[in-house]
Amino acid sequence: MSAEATAMRHSALVYESRDEYVDRAVAFLREGLDAGEGAVVGNTRSGLAAVREALGPDAARVTFIDVGAAYTRPARTFAAYHKVYAEEFKKAASVRVISDVQYGPEPAEWDMWMGYEALMNHAFAHLPTWAMCSYNANGLPDPLLETVWRTHPEVGTGTTWTKSDHFEEPTQLLRRITPLPEPLPGLRSISSGRGPEALRENLARELKADGVTEAKTLDMLIAVTEIATNAEAHGGGVKDVRLGRANGRFVCEIVDRGNGFDDPTAGYLPPRTGIGRGLWVARQLTWRIDFFRLPQGFTARIWL
Amino acid sequence: MSDAEPQPRLSREQEQALIVGAEAGDPAACRTLVEAFLPAIANLARAYYRGIGVEQKELMQEGVAGLLFAAQRYDTGLDTPFWPYAAFWVRKAMQELVAELSRPVALSDRAVRGLAQIRAARREHLRAHGAEPTDVELSQATGLTPAQVESLLATERPSRSFEEPLTPDDGSTVTLGDVIIDPVAEREYELVLDEIEIREVRDLADQLDERERVVVKAHYGLGRPTQTLGEIGATLGLTAERARQIEVGALTKLRSALAHPALQ
Repeated sequence: MSAEATAMRHSALVYESRDEYVDRAVAFLREGLDAGEGAVVGNTRSGLAAVREALGPDAARVTFIDVGAAYTRPARTFAAYHKVYAEEFKKAASVRVISDVQYGPEPAEWDMWMGYEALMNHAFAHLPTWAMCSYNANGLPDPLLETVWRTHPEVGTGTTWTKSDHFEEPTQLLRRITPLPEPLPGLRSISSGRGPEALRENLARELKADGVTEAKTLDMLIAVTEIATNAEAHGGGVKDVRLGRANGRFVCEIVDRGNGFDDPTAGYLPPRTGIGRGLWVARQLTWRIDFFRLPQGFTARIWL
Repeated sequence: MSDAEPQPRLSREQEQALIVGAEAGDPAACRTLVEAFLPAIANLARAYYRGIGVEQKELMQEGVAGLLFAAQRYDTGLDTPFWPYAAFWVRKAMQELVAELSRPVALSDRAVRGLAQIRAARREHLRAHGAEPTDVELSQATGLTPAQVESLLATERPSRSFEEPLTPDDGSTVTLGDVIIDPVAEREYELVLDEIEIREVRDLADQLDERERVVVKAHYGLGRPTQTLGEIGATLGLTAERARQIEVGALTKLRSALAHPALQ
């Protein structure tokens, strides 16, 4: 399956050594600079230092991002790059980005970042940008390197670019890797009150009683307001609100009366015409949000 | 090398609570989490400390940063305990530092000129003030940015061998390795803890003006007793409806701040 034609070009670069990475990154960035494009490089500090040194005076025209700070959760990584793009497009009509995705040691987490790569095909599809994700062939496990071909329409190895025959339609991939949420029987219902203000009042009492910090309480109040507003507008209204602790986190479920939606990209795509801001805002403020259907109704499970 | 399993000082529930608190930027949770895992971080640091030009305290600080980064990413629903997960990021942070400070560097002509400028500025500062200049002072004297100064000085840092004589000029046979302080010493812990730069707690309320902040915090009992909109309005000399409007405006402002910038 091929990728849809978009303003964005999304590629993967698989490199064998630091020297090869630096050579390819510098050539990629310089080509962009010569064409008047913006240029961004994301890597670890030592990776940035190597690219900076190799760029010489051109480094002053390149934006450097420490990926150690940007890659905590996919929603927050998208938000970080969204801000970078906003700055770059003030200076140039198109932008090149080369960035190392930060995979951790935990296979259960790899799927999350593979999902991030799949989402990337949609998140910035409307922007005139060439986003090149770099992968160290000698530093990443084989199962991860295999995913490169599933999430990028084209992959560069050595000096050749190959169109991926294994590219998977992103929403299909996301559905495939998203596990069914487990039941959380320990949650209890509270009154949703009449309207968002009463819901916030009830929720704030519960958060306070649970010892949640002020800052995180406000985050949750805003996130729940967004979800509840969606439920009122599109889901026939809030049917139930459940909350409690699970895995050490405060969890709040909003159940509505509608059929819900089946969109694994919901809340990950930066707001723009045709894409609302509510779920994007809610994801920025919380650890994770799962959307799923239960016999009781369509459920948004918000993890603080 | 073992990942040095920490002593079981924390129950699973305590560990989860600290991770969630640290992820949210709670300084007390960060500190307690770091204290619990500092012995394990020190054991990892010990492996890197031998024979490289990096100070133990620097390694510990990088390790702590790695631990706090791990706390931001760790899914408390995983079956994997926290330390085996965090050890990966702690080791990676230390490797980053070592790579940055001890990598063989082929300096460009421009970098060599920059270094020469820095050395000259340092000599001049020492002559004039009798003390080592700070990076900021070197930046001001050379016209290089503080980041450039830091980067260039890092390239110049000499590697130190574990077996090199500590004071080569006096004929002493004491080596660097002989005087390495036990990394599990409490004093070392305190030095590191004192220098942890806990990231600022991101508080959305900071983006509100004073009146908006008072209304939102009082209405939802954030750091103060909960009040009705009528009570808040009375305090501020406003009607309850006006207080409600201020709250709605405040929440809309925060929502907009999180959604922007819009890129079409």
